[in-house]
Amino acid sequence: MLAIDKVRYFGEPIALVVAEKEYIAEMAALRIKADYEPLPVVHSPSEALRKDSPLIHEHLAKYKKHEQVYPEPGTNIANRTRIRKGNMEEGWNKSEITVEVQVTMPQSDHAAIETRCSTAEIMPSGKTIIHSTSQSPYIIRMAISQSFHIPLHQVIVHTPLVGGSFGGKSAIYTELLAFIASSAVGGRAVRLVLPREQDMVSAPVHIGLDARIKLGCTREGKIAATEILHLFDGGAYSDRGAVMSRAGATDCTGPYRIDNVQCDSLCVYTNHPYSTSFRGFGHPELTFAMERAIDLMAARVGMDPLEFRFHNAIGPGDTSPTQTDLNKSNLGDLPMCIAKLKEIIYWDSRPQVQTSGHLVKATGVSCFWKNSNTPLNAGAGAVVIFNSDGSVNLLCGAVEIGQGTRTALTQILAERLGMEERRIHISTDVDTETDPWLWKTVASRSTLLSGNAVLKAADDAIEQLKNMASIILERTPDELAVGGGRVFVIEHPGIGIEIAQIVDGYKDSTGNMIGGQVIGRGSYTMPDLTLLDPETGKGKTGPEWTVGAQAVEVEVNKRDYSYRIVKAATVMDAGKVINPEMARSQITGAMSMGLGLASREAFLFDPNGAVLDLQFRTYKLMRYGEQPEYSVEFVETPHLEAPYGLRGIGEHGLIGMPAALANGLSAATGASLNRLPLTPESIWRTVHDSV
Amino acid sequence: MIPFDFEYYKPSSVREAVLWFQQLQVQRKNPMYFSGGTEIITWARRNSIQPGAVIDLKAIPECGVIGFHQDRLILGSCVSLSVLSSANPFPLLSVTALGVADQTARNQITLGGNICGKIHFRETVLPLLMSDSRVILAGEKGAREVSIHEVFLHQIKLEKGEFIVQILIEREYLSLPFFHVKKRQIGNVGYPLVTMAALKKDERTRTAYSGVCVFPFRSIEIDQALNDATIPLTNRIEQAIGKLPAPVVTNEEGSAAYREYVLKQTMAEAVITLEGR
Repeated sequence: MLAIDKVRYFGEPIALVVAEKEYIAEMAALRIKADYEPLPVVHSPSEALRKDSPLIHEHLAKYKKHEQVYPEPGTNIANRTRIRKGNMEEGWNKSEITVEVQVTMPQSDHAAIETRCSTAEIMPSGKTIIHSTSQSPYIIRMAISQSFHIPLHQVIVHTPLVGGSFGGKSAIYTELLAFIASSAVGGRAVRLVLPREQDMVSAPVHIGLDARIKLGCTREGKIAATEILHLFDGGAYSDRGAVMSRAGATDCTGPYRIDNVQCDSLCVYTNHPYSTSFRGFGHPELTFAMERAIDLMAARVGMDPLEFRFHNAIGPGDTSPTQTDLNKSNLGDLPMCIAKLKEIIYWDSRPQVQTSGHLVKATGVSCFWKNSNTPLNAGAGAVVIFNSDGSVNLLCGAVEIGQGTRTALTQILAERLGMEERRIHISTDVDTETDPWLWKTVASRSTLLSGNAVLKAADDAIEQLKNMASIILERTPDELAVGGGRVFVIEHPGIGIEIAQIVDGYKDSTGNMIGGQVIGRGSYTMPDLTLLDPETGKGKTGPEWTVGAQAVEVEVNKRDYSYRIVKAATVMDAGKVINPEMARSQITGAMSMGLGLASREAFLFDPNGAVLDLQFRTYKLMRYGEQPEYSVEFVETPHLEAPYGLRGIGEHGLIGMPAALANGLSAATGASLNRLPLTPESIWRTVHDSV
Repeated sequence: MIPFDFEYYKPSSVREAVLWFQQLQVQRKNPMYFSGGTEIITWARRNSIQPGAVIDLKAIPECGVIGFHQDRLILGSCVSLSVLSSANPFPLLSVTALGVADQTARNQITLGGNICGKIHFRETVLPLLMSDSRVILAGEKGAREVSIHEVFLHQIKLEKGEFIVQILIEREYLSLPFFHVKKRQIGNVGYPLVTMAALKKDERTRTAYSGVCVFPFRSIEIDQALNDATIPLTNRIEQAIGKLPAPVVTNEEGSAAYREYVLKQTMAEAVITLEGR
């Protein structure tokens, strides 16, 4: 947790000070004098792969691996995922037109309003209590247990209503430091709150990507082959970056049917802050690369950019890059999303580029898809407890990070139990001592994992209620149903019994007890996931995709290349929308985040690898007054394995935004804008360089 | 957080403030005058400054004034930028002030503080330079009134223990035709790539700049070049660029090359806007 022998990135902690008061700790920390001997700095993944590049980790071969990763000792490669699908020779032979694109997306911050913080306390009995603003309470428990040899049941982790996290709070960081600090002072409670600057660069950051894509297409506009090289900037340590680079391979083609695919997706060590999950998990990055290539190809073929996407949209009967068979349920309906997007942005009724003096309006589009890349055992549990008045407590491990999962789970339970949501209580906190396990609150997976667990728990409770009522009502359980706070006879709904009378067992007229407390339990683990074949990438990393189509309209001032984002639109196949208000706000928030990321968010480094913009003074975010008009519409193709058919939507609104913005600005300026962020200066530079 | 303790004084008169400063100086407390406090808080939080005492000037009545005396606008140094721009006695100063930071920060940042700041931009000084404003200072030796040009060249130059009480601007400047543009790296909030303010007085355009060099400035040479109607505008601008008082800055907001590109355009916009008026 603290650097030993060498510091690998700017912001890496070298010492930890524990004090009674924050200011004392800070004063003490200021007195630590460190003499550093400068080492050569590796600034980018491309630099890291040069033969003469210094090694960031000399002993890579000895490192323990927790998940399927393939580091290459003696190099700076932390993981390589290979996709080999179809026959490349055949693909290139069919390709009458080819385009090549190189894109760059720098590392950036998650920029949650609340910085990361946690407290640790070690009781004399050895019991360890952690409070943390985390998306991963159960992973914290495991990490503390494994690292410090404390039995799992002795580690208790609490998370509050966490709020903005965006993946950045799924990594374990402050918790281990707080634990070390607490053990240094005899187990006393120690709180560690990161100031903004440390939150930005000491804690893990959003991953960067250098990518090269070659795309081949027939003259008629059918994509025939692609060769992709992704170099993800994992930074100095392998957190989730290694797995994100795998996600960059598994969905590398974007939602297009490409029969011949070769992809090498690498996570590369550099001397940058280390990378972890970020909303979209490798997909905004891979999509930026692929969608720039798609736009260029559409232009080369001479097709309308949305028509070209529509014609090449992946569909049922096709296979994914990892050769998973696709059907309506696991894929959804991208052509329908594209068709609907065309309508809401009036695509066919006006030109893509409109010039008026020095102002140019243009619309860029992008499609996206995303499946998850979880461990094979990712799952969830849920417990439904009845109170004696018939109200219900729902226990589960999904962390509320503003995405509304706990509201959605309450809705799902209310629907299945046929009762009002206000009769169901769910806390805002998670407590690993009492709440059943959930892998992590990440990957837009909580409504699938916890939702299915809740449904099973509800069914388990319903079965118990019906069994008990069947004795009282002298009917078979099959003749009964639960709803409206009662168990009743389906044929004669007037005949029934209040749930409140039986949830703690039923006292009959003679005073005898029948049955006992009703407790519903359920759990769910995604079935049929497999590891990827290391040579071909064949395998199944997740249960379903969410697909969609997006557009961004910009108005560029051709004098100085400043621009205004006028409109942003998303049509997403959400499977089933169970909470329209929250679904729209999730997607809108994600779109805004994607536009900020694409237009201005980036860490700037000096020649020594120090981050220059580690405050919001110079690190830019989209401000409230700069938001465009947002439109969000849905297509509903149910995912049959999910509660009520819903699909993950928490991250997806972000994914196509960088690409759509770049495509719009490229259309407006006539320059190929392949580097993020898209500041006016970067556009000016590209325009000038290409003249 | 600010990790050290410091004393806080809030005098209610100019004299009391000066006395406190002297006394704290003698006590080696390294005192600092404190107005909006945004910069002191920022630097102290990063441990770049360690004042043992701060003297808050905001309770001094003279420092909070916005009003006219005869033909002069009087602005107290502790008037916040948001109050200043909503009262709007000097429209060019208002729009310049509105370009600084964001609304929340402008509620704190004061006119005097912005001018005296260590930050490179100090944008509110631009209209004051162009309007040849006068400054009332208070210090050990009492009060004095001087031209802004005597105490501000690239940055404020005050005697130890002196502070700005008020700024005085001749009324005739307040309604002159003006131009103001702030261009940033991106977005509506942030430090300038280029801030340019201009006033037209007696058929001549006066200009002042922030963000271009590491200090804000007004340059007579640049104004001469821009006003030379005998040559085409692009040549005037080329000449003006040749008169910049320091190298164009490269920083997180942008490179010198792009800054210069933006500066030239902004100069052209300013001249075209004001020549017709």
